[in-house]
Amino acid sequence: MEATIEVQGLRKQFGQTVAVDDLSFTVIPGQVTGFVGPNGAGKSTTMRVLLGLDSADAGRALIGGRAYSALRRPLTQVGALLDAAAVHPSRRGRDHLLWLAHTHGLPTRRVDELLETVGLGSAGRRRAGGYSLGMRQRLGIAAALLGDPPVLLFDEPVNGLDPEGIRWIRGFLRALAREGRAVLVSSHLMSELEDSADHLVVIGRGRLVADTPVAELLAAASGDRVALRTSDRTRAMAVLAREGATVAANGKESLSVTGLPAERITALLAAGGVPFSEVSAHRATLEEAYMELTRDAVEFQATDTQASEPRAAASQASESQASEFRAATGDGDMR
Amino acid sequence: MRGTPPMQPSAAVRATAAMQALGTLRAVRAEWTKLRTVPGSWWLLVAVVALTVAAGGASAAAVTTEHCHPTPAACQEDTVKLSLTGVWVGQAAVAILGALAMSSEYGTGTIRAALTAVPWRGRLLTAKAVVVSALALTTGALGVLGSLLVGRLVLPGNGFTAEAGYPPLSLADGPTLRAAVGSMLYLGLIALLALGVAALVRDTAGAITVVLALLYVFPVLVSLVSSEKWRERLQEWGPASAGMAVQATRNLHSLPIGPWPGLGVLALYAAAALLAGGLTFRLRDA
Repeated sequence: MEATIEVQGLRKQFGQTVAVDDLSFTVIPGQVTGFVGPNGAGKSTTMRVLLGLDSADAGRALIGGRAYSALRRPLTQVGALLDAAAVHPSRRGRDHLLWLAHTHGLPTRRVDELLETVGLGSAGRRRAGGYSLGMRQRLGIAAALLGDPPVLLFDEPVNGLDPEGIRWIRGFLRALAREGRAVLVSSHLMSELEDSADHLVVIGRGRLVADTPVAELLAAASGDRVALRTSDRTRAMAVLAREGATVAANGKESLSVTGLPAERITALLAAGGVPFSEVSAHRATLEEAYMELTRDAVEFQATDTQASEPRAAASQASESQASEFRAATGDGDMR
Repeated sequence: MRGTPPMQPSAAVRATAAMQALGTLRAVRAEWTKLRTVPGSWWLLVAVVALTVAAGGASAAAVTTEHCHPTPAACQEDTVKLSLTGVWVGQAAVAILGALAMSSEYGTGTIRAALTAVPWRGRLLTAKAVVVSALALTTGALGVLGSLLVGRLVLPGNGFTAEAGYPPLSLADGPTLRAAVGSMLYLGLIALLALGVAALVRDTAGAITVVLALLYVFPVLVSLVSSEKWRERLQEWGPASAGMAVQATRNLHSLPIGPWPGLGVLALYAAAALLAGGLTFRLRDA
């Protein structure tokens, strides 16, 4: 089986509410694909349709080219973590994996192996009702991996985890993708996917907003802006404009330069004898890139009365989360 | 299709059938694992046997021939039915067991894991039906045998002796055997009825309320009906009153409904509940 997830023209409606609207995307093996959108955007619904739990009103949701119900021994083809809290509180963690294993004739050995892999080990003998959220997530991940499937779906796997748990899951997801599996991970927070996703499928209100490699998205959002601090604004502007850069003053001593790389700017300023104290290339965070994307999506629906609110939130977030990468600085910092 | 050897399709069909049978067997095993790994199930299984035997024994101990005139035989007491009275109480535990097999999956959310592991809903429901009915039959057998044994020991002390026209309870007696086997089957059908209702309402409290109301409130309401004709008719069609007819060993002609037809009525209820529950299960989003 080819390890892919294909969603084509998917539509799902609950009563009057359209949860997923003409959604299409493909998840390929060997990389982590982030599935991002605000709460209620339709991420979980899409995953439930993929797993055959909900039926689609239109379109197709296929795994390795087949509908879920057409898969033979489904746990060996797809692993899923939908809701880590969904365990019987008085059943032991190990027994939860055991009944799942029995549906596919998998040996008990496999259950114990996975308990070790996810770091539950002896905790598997305890009743799941006493598990912390992190332990439940680990149990859920073990359940998803039982049949060693080439396709994995995780719905909000880091939601509510402590930093240690988040780091563990991120590393784990990356490792699974490196093994050649197709990994789809949903999150309502873009920052949770930073450093783990290679590709992003962004949805809002059930519709596709973006389907793009993370690297491209970041490059587009970062632009080629360079921030510059100088005590001689006028001369700096003249020198740089002569070389074709677009220069904007955004403070008494600070300039924003586009059209020239940071290295070239420092060279030009040094050659022209213009004093400067700081040159930094702006590098967008995933969160900023996401905000830029959703801002467009929000503007598209500008007639909506709620539209102004998310926009305000978006600009606030990009301000607070903007991080700057120091590409080059004055001689004081050259070591 | 031209050029395909004629043997291949049937071989493929057989292979598919074998795979499906294997899949169903695995689903049954998984359901049994699910049930046995929750401590509450064991309490319910113990409760079925204990309640049946205790209530049956108490009933047998409470009835004597003292009020029978002129002779003990005049009472025409159905000692088999009397000893098996506990089934009336034990059925509550069976109903809860049957309902929980489905409703606890919705309550805890494990239904989603269950359906990703066994996406064929008919197979999942079948596996649950096999496990709960097998357990109801097994515990029912223990409860029924225990009840008859207690009756056999207690009844002679209360005047129900062989000399008085009440031979000791024995499975070698045709009607007694029918009552015993019928009571087991009765409990098996109650488990299926509860499972079907739970698949329909998807909620533990709701499912148990519906089933217990059918079993206990329905007969009480019927007893309030003033018209004797209607009272009898409703007894014929009530799941518990009709099904319990299978326990009668005396005065069969005066029963509203015969033993096996009575159990048949209960079987219709169970089948209808499973059908409605199964259709809902198949069509609704999980």
